[in-house]
Amino acid sequence: MAIVSGVDVGSLCTKTVILNGDGEILSFDIIRSGHYYQGAADESIENALKTAGLKRQDISYILGTGYGRSSISQADSEVTEITCHARGAKKLFPEVRTVSDIGGQDSKVIGIGEGGIVNNFVMNDKCAAGTGRFLEVMASALSVDIDEMGKLYFASQNKLEVSSMCTVFAESEVISLFAQGHMKADIAAGIAHAIARRIIGMVGQVGLKDEVVMSGGVAKNAGVVCAIEERLKVKLSVAQEPQIVGALGAAIIASERV
Amino acid sequence: MEKAMKKIVEVTSNPYAYVEGLKEENNKKIIGCFPMYVPEELIHAAGMIPVVIWRGNESVTWGHAHVPPYDCGITRSFVDDAVRGKLSFMDGFVFHIRQCLQAGEFPFIMERHFKPAYQKVLYLPALYAGDAIRDFAITELESFKKSLEDFTGKEITGDSLKKSIETYNENRTLLERVYELRRGKPEILKAREVMQIVWSSMLMPKEENNELLKELIAGMKKKTVETKKNSIKVIPVGCLCQTLQFDILDLIEDLGMIIPDDDLYIGSRYFANKVGLDGNPIEALADRYLTKSPLCPTKGVWDIHWGDEAIKKMKDNDAKGIISILIKYCPPHACYYPDFKSKMDKEGIHEIMIQVEHEVITLEATKTRLQSFVEIIGGV
Amino acid sequence: MEIKYKVNRLQTTNEIRPLVDKHWADLRTAKERGEKVAWASGPSFIFAYAMGMKCHFMAGYSAYCGGIGAGEEVLKVAELAGDLPESCSYHRLHMGMGEAVARGIPINPQAILPMPDLMVAGRLCPEMSHYAEGLNRRFGVRVLPIDLPGPYSKDDMPRIREFVYRQFKEVVIPTFEEVCGKPFDYDRMSEILRILKEVALLRNKCWEFFKDKPSRWTLWDYGVSIAPVFYLMGNPAGITYYEKLLKELQERREKDIPAVAPDGEKYRLYWDGWLPWAFLGKFMRKFIPNGAVVLCGRYPWEFFPHPELIDPEHPVESWADLYYGMESHLTYSFSPKGTIDLIGELIEDYSIDGLVMFSSKTCRVMNLAQPEVIDVLDKKYGVPGVIVEGDMIDSAMISDAQIETRLQALFEMIDGRRKRK
Ligand code: SF4
Ligand code: SF4
Repeated sequence: MAIVSGVDVGSLCTKTVILNGDGEILSFDIIRSGHYYQGAADESIENALKTAGLKRQDISYILGTGYGRSSISQADSEVTEITCHARGAKKLFPEVRTVSDIGGQDSKVIGIGEGGIVNNFVMNDKCAAGTGRFLEVMASALSVDIDEMGKLYFASQNKLEVSSMCTVFAESEVISLFAQGHMKADIAAGIAHAIARRIIGMVGQVGLKDEVVMSGGVAKNAGVVCAIEERLKVKLSVAQEPQIVGALGAAIIASERV
Repeated sequence: MEKAMKKIVEVTSNPYAYVEGLKEENNKKIIGCFPMYVPEELIHAAGMIPVVIWRGNESVTWGHAHVPPYDCGITRSFVDDAVRGKLSFMDGFVFHIRQCLQAGEFPFIMERHFKPAYQKVLYLPALYAGDAIRDFAITELESFKKSLEDFTGKEITGDSLKKSIETYNENRTLLERVYELRRGKPEILKAREVMQIVWSSMLMPKEENNELLKELIAGMKKKTVETKKNSIKVIPVGCLCQTLQFDILDLIEDLGMIIPDDDLYIGSRYFANKVGLDGNPIEALADRYLTKSPLCPTKGVWDIHWGDEAIKKMKDNDAKGIISILIKYCPPHACYYPDFKSKMDKEGIHEIMIQVEHEVITLEATKTRLQSFVEIIGGV
Repeated sequence: MEIKYKVNRLQTTNEIRPLVDKHWADLRTAKERGEKVAWASGPSFIFAYAMGMKCHFMAGYSAYCGGIGAGEEVLKVAELAGDLPESCSYHRLHMGMGEAVARGIPINPQAILPMPDLMVAGRLCPEMSHYAEGLNRRFGVRVLPIDLPGPYSKDDMPRIREFVYRQFKEVVIPTFEEVCGKPFDYDRMSEILRILKEVALLRNKCWEFFKDKPSRWTLWDYGVSIAPVFYLMGNPAGITYYEKLLKELQERREKDIPAVAPDGEKYRLYWDGWLPWAFLGKFMRKFIPNGAVVLCGRYPWEFFPHPELIDPEHPVESWADLYYGMESHLTYSFSPKGTIDLIGELIEDYSIDGLVMFSSKTCRVMNLAQPEVIDVLDKKYGVPGVIVEGDMIDSAMISDAQIETRLQALFEMIDGRRKRK
């Protein structure tokens, strides 16, 4: 069976996954997308090939997905990130029924039916609320990095309320909480819960069904994951590399199209 | 057919210039009717030209000083056009201010800044039970008629009103015919063209539009088209009051979907239901307004369900899905939508909602939504 | 030196909460006692009261929810159920409450009301129809809808009055008779109006104290005192309440105690639009430190400002006249022209320095042509105004920074004009 690749060009990061004929991951790559999506896609494919010790000719099919999917010149076809996230999550967690993906600029919740098909989905692409970007802005308002912010969550004694959903308002809210002398950890916990509130609203619209998989870069933030778990009252499944779930799904669809 | 279509595109590409020209050519007064339910026939019978007010495609500028940003696109765009003097060829306006709160923005703003020679406010009632409702609808139309007579100084006779109604009914029949032909071979026209056809009827004198439609229909009958295989038929639903950005219709088609029919205001809703010709014409006009179907969320109807109507239309057309088009900040539609959606879920119908704004259209995000929808229906 | 302003709180207003709580508690438990329950929007609850039903009122419930701090969580449930932020927050609040019960999502139990035997939907605003429709479609609530158009100009009033009166007689009363299984109680309706008249006359006497300089109380004090002229209508406790309030205000006048310590207000303001129920405190904290006090407003003036026109002898006719009659045309104040007339009067009666036009992002009923209204009044009376955007309940739609800037701008405008004088 043929070697295939999935490329997910997101607004923040570009991800590539290469699968062998048995559907096993040979290599993957994650880089920043920058402003030139096509270049990012080419570079990421190149990196993944290098890691796998392959050449471009070895790949028989490339499928593109993500926000910049139409700018991947090497791709043989494209499928949306909705379908790809569903398929990728299904591969990693066969029992998955709900995927919540929090990417850089958008967030989505996907309801999955029998056989891994998408039943319904909701997407927030209008504003940065509840996305990786939101987290980044808040982290810089607190002057900590994102990883640290995830850890801070667990040091919180007294979780604060960050009520605003809008990045601009929330930022000034965070700054003023900080100025009032509140602990960073407590504010960080408040921020995680602000994102969680946003996500559970979306989960509610799709309908919560176990097992819930969380993908996307924000899934690396243990604080947010924990806040969502607390609110949904279910355990989330998080892939080892939550960022490549979409690219993996794309590669799986590619293998069906060879 | 090409010739007719060319005219239609011309009319709708620059409605401002077209309507202005219309006024000069006919030497008649132009009365702007805010969509959706002003009975244009009365204005026609009064010897003036009724034109349905449209949403322009420009960003709102001076209008900001008059209406808040959380009003819907046509509300903001219309006020902007009016205060900027882009509608100076209009002699008067009619507003049915009971369809939604936003329609209530207009009369005062127009009185202050536009100073139309004629302005009428209508309070068409919600379609609730009881005789008082129908009686009041009739009273409203009587008062409308009287105000027109006062303005022109001429009586609107029963006969002249009937004649106008006939012309309008003919237009409805012709548009129906266009839709029928398209249903048989949906690829014959692009969705944007169909929207332009209906829109042209809102702008042109109906007599002229009727002739144009006849020409178009003759051409449509003759023309053969190749039917694409594998394309997915979908029905767009909603989009009250305003033209949809044509790009969105193009996008739907570019993604491999076909639109055999619609439930849009600038679409099948505009020409649905004819006015009865027996009996009192004012009562007949009231009765057309009081018809519950096609269900409109501005009319207060709840013994039939919009979702059921949409599903029927979908099935009749052998379509596979429904695309709800929700104008941002349109409360009547927004309030109904959750119930529409749950109906779709309950019946297992593929449905997706896209929200469109006057200025910001995030075409990329809309594309992702629609493409996912195709993938879901197609079972990728 | 910078003056430190502080509110002098009234004593009597503390007595409103038990009355209000009792009203809602009675409503919550009505079904257990075998009583019938109605819900209402628009001026229609009086018919339910006349029939001895316990009745919820849309805006009243929303005020109550905002007051007990339950708004936010209930709105969250509505969002879960798919309700969109374009629907007004009163709509979402009711859907959220219904959905919470239907889906078993825990919310503050005080915010949960029994589903009604009948919902009278007075379509004063079209959204009131949507909300009744939603309740009917989702929860099977029996709805009695009536259309209550707000007149754009006075000329339109007589024919609308006829229309509305006919609906009262032909639809509302027969339906209540059917639901309650007894003839309509005109006597009780008269009695309710008699009490209302007495309460409103007392209330008007209290309004006189807004005219004092410095003012003896604030619109917020009156805001929490609205229930007796509103959904506590017909309850004689309202008379006692306003008698007490009047007495307290008289004492203040005698002892020269202002609403705002130490020496009274610097700015006397008018408030347009809904009272922001969930954020009364928030706004208060923005006004008082600046020495600003709000004295009157369109919404609080909707509650029978001319009680002398209430005619208990002809209850149904009088009720229609209160809203659509040529003398007392409560619905007309929703029209920009009516708004301008009303605010103009208030500016003169209460010596207003500035207008705060609260514009709700989800309820446009009082936003209509607000910028025009400001402009007309400024030209006529030289009183400046600003628009403050927000929402009655939904905190996601309120921006502290924006409110602060706009209010600051208003104060500066007032200062500027004072200097020029
Ligand atoms: S689009 Fe909706 S909100 Fe706007 S005018 Fe039409 S019905 Fe009213
Ligand atoms: S829009 Fe405003 S007036 Fe209308 S129902 Fe909602 S809250 Fe009430």
